[in-house]
Amino acid sequence: MNQVGRDIPRLEVRAKVTGRADYTHNLRLPGMLYGKVFRATVPHGRIRCIETGAARAVPGVQCVVTGEDIRKLIAEPYYGPAFHDQPILALDKVRHVGEPVAVVLASDPHVAEHAAQLIDAEYQELPAVYDEVAAMQPDIVVHDMLKPAGTFADLKHLKGRTGTNIALDFHLRRGDVDAALARAERVIEHTFKTQQCLHLAFEPFVAVADPGDGVLTIHTSNQTPSFVRTEIARLFGWPENRVRVKVPYLGGGFGAKVYVKLEALVSALALLVRRPVKIALTMEEQFYMITKHPTTFRIKSGVGKDGRVVARACEVYWNGGAYADIGPRVTQKSGFTAPGPYDIENINIDSYALYTNRTPAGALRGFGIPQLVWAYESHTDLIARELGIDPIDFRRKNILHQNRPQASGTPMTDAAIAKVLDAIAARLAWNKKLDRGSGTVRRGRGVAIGFKASISPTTSVAIVNVAADGSTTLYTSTVDMGQGSDTAFAQIAAEVLDFKAEDIRIVHPDTDVTPYDMGTLGSRSLFHMGNAVRLAAEDARAKLQALAAQAGLPEGTNYPPAEVFKKRFGMQAGNVIGAASFVPTYKSPDAQTGLSDNVTPFWMVGGAGAEVEVDTETGDVRVLRLVNAVDCGKPINPGVARTQLSGAAIMQLGFTLSEAMQLDAGQVTNASLADYKIPGIRDVPPMENELVEAEQHTGPFGAKGLGESGTFGVSPAIANAIHDAVGVRIMELPITAEVVFRALRAQQGRPLEDA
Amino acid sequence: MIPFEMVEPKSLKEALALLDPQESTVRAVAGGTALMLMMKAGVFTPTRLVCLHGIESEYARITVSAGELRIGAMATLSELERDANVAARLPVLKRAMRTLSNVRVRNVARVGGALAHGDPHLDLPPVLAALGARVSISGAGGDRELPLEQLYSGYYETVLAKDELITAVKIPAQAARKAAYMKVTARSADDWPALGVAVSFAFADGAIRDPIVVVSAATEKVTRMAAAEKVLHGAAPDDATLARAGDAAAAAAAILTDAHGSAAYKRELLRVYLRRAVREALGDGARPVRQ
Amino acid sequence: MMRTINFTLNGQPVSTAIEPHRNLVELLQRFDLFGARESCGQGLCGCCTVLVDDMAVSGCLYFAVWVDGKSVTTVEHLDAEGSLSVVQQAFIDCGAFQCGFCTPGFVLMTHQLLKAYPNPSDDDIRHYLSGNLCRCAAYPEIIEAVKLAARR
Repeated sequence: MNQVGRDIPRLEVRAKVTGRADYTHNLRLPGMLYGKVFRATVPHGRIRCIETGAARAVPGVQCVVTGEDIRKLIAEPYYGPAFHDQPILALDKVRHVGEPVAVVLASDPHVAEHAAQLIDAEYQELPAVYDEVAAMQPDIVVHDMLKPAGTFADLKHLKGRTGTNIALDFHLRRGDVDAALARAERVIEHTFKTQQCLHLAFEPFVAVADPGDGVLTIHTSNQTPSFVRTEIARLFGWPENRVRVKVPYLGGGFGAKVYVKLEALVSALALLVRRPVKIALTMEEQFYMITKHPTTFRIKSGVGKDGRVVARACEVYWNGGAYADIGPRVTQKSGFTAPGPYDIENINIDSYALYTNRTPAGALRGFGIPQLVWAYESHTDLIARELGIDPIDFRRKNILHQNRPQASGTPMTDAAIAKVLDAIAARLAWNKKLDRGSGTVRRGRGVAIGFKASISPTTSVAIVNVAADGSTTLYTSTVDMGQGSDTAFAQIAAEVLDFKAEDIRIVHPDTDVTPYDMGTLGSRSLFHMGNAVRLAAEDARAKLQALAAQAGLPEGTNYPPAEVFKKRFGMQAGNVIGAASFVPTYKSPDAQTGLSDNVTPFWMVGGAGAEVEVDTETGDVRVLRLVNAVDCGKPINPGVARTQLSGAAIMQLGFTLSEAMQLDAGQVTNASLADYKIPGIRDVPPMENELVEAEQHTGPFGAKGLGESGTFGVSPAIANAIHDAVGVRIMELPITAEVVFRALRAQQGRPLEDA
Repeated sequence: MIPFEMVEPKSLKEALALLDPQESTVRAVAGGTALMLMMKAGVFTPTRLVCLHGIESEYARITVSAGELRIGAMATLSELERDANVAARLPVLKRAMRTLSNVRVRNVARVGGALAHGDPHLDLPPVLAALGARVSISGAGGDRELPLEQLYSGYYETVLAKDELITAVKIPAQAARKAAYMKVTARSADDWPALGVAVSFAFADGAIRDPIVVVSAATEKVTRMAAAEKVLHGAAPDDATLARAGDAAAAAAAILTDAHGSAAYKRELLRVYLRRAVREALGDGARPVRQ
Repeated sequence: MMRTINFTLNGQPVSTAIEPHRNLVELLQRFDLFGARESCGQGLCGCCTVLVDDMAVSGCLYFAVWVDGKSVTTVEHLDAEGSLSVVQQAFIDCGAFQCGFCTPGFVLMTHQLLKAYPNPSDDDIRHYLSGNLCRCAAYPEIIEAVKLAARR
């Protein structure tokens, strides 16, 4: 039976349509207290005092906890995946509006909420910095000293550095950019910007800690249970086996729920009060947790007479907000793809992770890639226009082909870039003329392609347990947050063991039970854990064969496992455990040049094509057609893969046209779904989604992940289409109707003037 | 939210008596959809809510007499949406209901609440104002009636006293008057409008007569555009007239900058959408954007 | 302040004491029903959809005491007879969700939609469901599921 490549519904469909699926959101434990966070109201300030008396006096309040209370429990209560820079509750200073300063605990969440409103804090306000380029200057410093976590070797040199907001600077030098630019026929330079936006999973951040008796159990809506266990154990100075992290289904993640978010806070609170503690954020509070990096990207290209790009210099500034989170990884791991999927001899990349006084930024469906593609594909389109070359032809001329080295020096193996571009061009019927509209309604079209490296080096471990009746259970710490990993792993294990995928049961992450996984992020699960599952299933298969041999069954016959067990043990007894780790090889970039010939185990490729209609009287942009194509190797479940692609593209459509966190003196002024507009059902354009025919030879049955790939090309494809339609170029996201209108008026030489 | 008292009077009179002319923490609640948002946001903390669900059922009726449509303040927006008289007499209102908030809110929110809330982004006030609606108000001190647009005194502010309630809204017979409402969203389709433009007018011998032009959302309150009405009255709806009317409205309207867009941009939208509203009312295919 | 309310919950008469400041979602949690979820808290996302007297409401914007004497139906009731509803099955067959958090709301709203529009056009579907949001953006599949359910 062919299990891989089958379009089976997700395993958990019934639980989800009946409302019975298990989310941390639902969890209540006996004796549980609810915590409500009191948050900073200033963007940058020294804490003078926190007045909690009125809150403590509210009937029903158990206690009010501040950073100093936490410090009595944990001497160094700072956490973070790259830097240990984030206090569990603010200590000494606050660095962004919305930073947690105190928590009220009560058994009634309404009481906790009311009491939290009665807390008052006084600050000595400090000047604040919000812009990533401004933060390059040390005039206003967000952190007095850099505190790298030590888990990343390449951050060690930053330890103890003072007087800077640069959490990481990554540099790549390939060839001789200056010489090549000097020789180039033309040199073209642009600066692009992206806005701060955010994930807004519909199950807002939620975690419950149960102090237990010697073993702390954390139930959490989190994408990285293994990391949470390690980090919480480190904070308390405990061995890992005293921390248990359990994760059911997630009501969305999108990169928000990675590393420690609420877990350190609920754990500390639960240990302080010796009762279970739950904190569930509201939608509004999500605006103060983690966001997507705003960026400024200066890109300069030298082009030869033949239309080949001969040199490219990229300066990328990542606005990481008040705490580094995983920003330094974004800066480096995505940074080296900044020149785009093009074969360019001479490349400079300078990529900077910056602290500012905004809500922290981390990973959001693409780990920085959509910001980069926005810039390099807008830039690419502008170059093609300037040279008078068709934008598809221009890309074809410069594209990276199979096994050619990418900027980092790592070959582009199994990266179907050209195929993705061809698929988009074909679906848009690029060689046919477009009806360009007339009067005040103009049409245009555009394309964009992008790529991404997988995060490396990382480890995934899987266990396959075949019971004596042949029924099989799979243990992994991969979190199914809607991407369908449970289903894909069942299909992979079933393929190896010759079972039916639907019959395999998946045990959800429980670090007491499920083995280590680096995290469900960066589209890595299908490749990394998928390979681990495949190896674990092969291990189980080999053990079943050995068992059959022990039972005296002739070799080469395919006995059902139940018969093998019965024959071997004389009854329905025993089990077979297959286990495997998967750790791809990796070579870290050279400290001087930033180069490495093995920087990623695989490449993701995605692109988009858009046809748009612009109302020139209002600037309103209507997407008439959105074509999305990705290389995901050979899909394990093509149906689920297509919905992933479609969902990613629509999400990126929101980041392109409407979503933006608005700040006024550091205050978020639109922290709600009423004022921060995500795409609704009436915003979805006609779409076509294509998985191009490809194979990832090192992936499980030729597959690799695609959760992010659908986001890559959407924004620049639309900007390119708008340019094609009405001749204006938008350099900054989001592209609202007003932005387009203003550009149109500027183009007409009568800029819209604000009174 | 903190505990409060919820009382459920059985009559309008009883309800009025339970309100407090001085106390702003005592309020009536009809559908509660807007009030709960304010309570959740902490901008309103009641000590007592006077629930109007139990008052006489006549206040929820939609009736027609002598050509006038009377909508009881306790009618839900869904009832308004589904009402046969509304569909037959006021197609513009029926159409506006389709994109007004969402089905669940329409099922619960009441007409009176939607008018009394005073949020300039709501759709019902501009549409009703353009139809020449008047609101009936009852209070401890007696009853009164106002043209709908005169209900509003500012941003989320009305002329209602703390112990007054809207009991009905009355819409005069429209005869052959034409009407349209343009809800202009600037971000996503389900967004609150950046601008609302409602128009109604008689049309005879190729000329517009007795126009009513109402602007909402972009201004701090629902506002009639007298200058634009003056331009339109007696004129043929040609491009030049509509452009002059748009200019007049843009010059007169006190437009605000907010998250939906700058004042300068919304002023431009007003010029465009006033023209489109008139054309839509005349039935010649203005391009509906994200409707 | 505590008030005793009597209502029908998924076909069963029930009674409980509750204060006026609690909303319908909180009330349902007391009965271990978690299919209606407060997410945006503003009635915009539809995750908290509940039927009161067979009419969809946003549970997060509906006072719990208001269901006194009424009939409340949640998503958990749709398969009370043992089999999934036509709408639920259509959502599965079309892959009309990913994380599943908003799904109960979409399923309940689709039941209402098909009562109002037994044979809905794309435009009917988009308007009726515009008050439900899906961050995984399974919208195209949801539209297909509604049409499939209508055909069945």
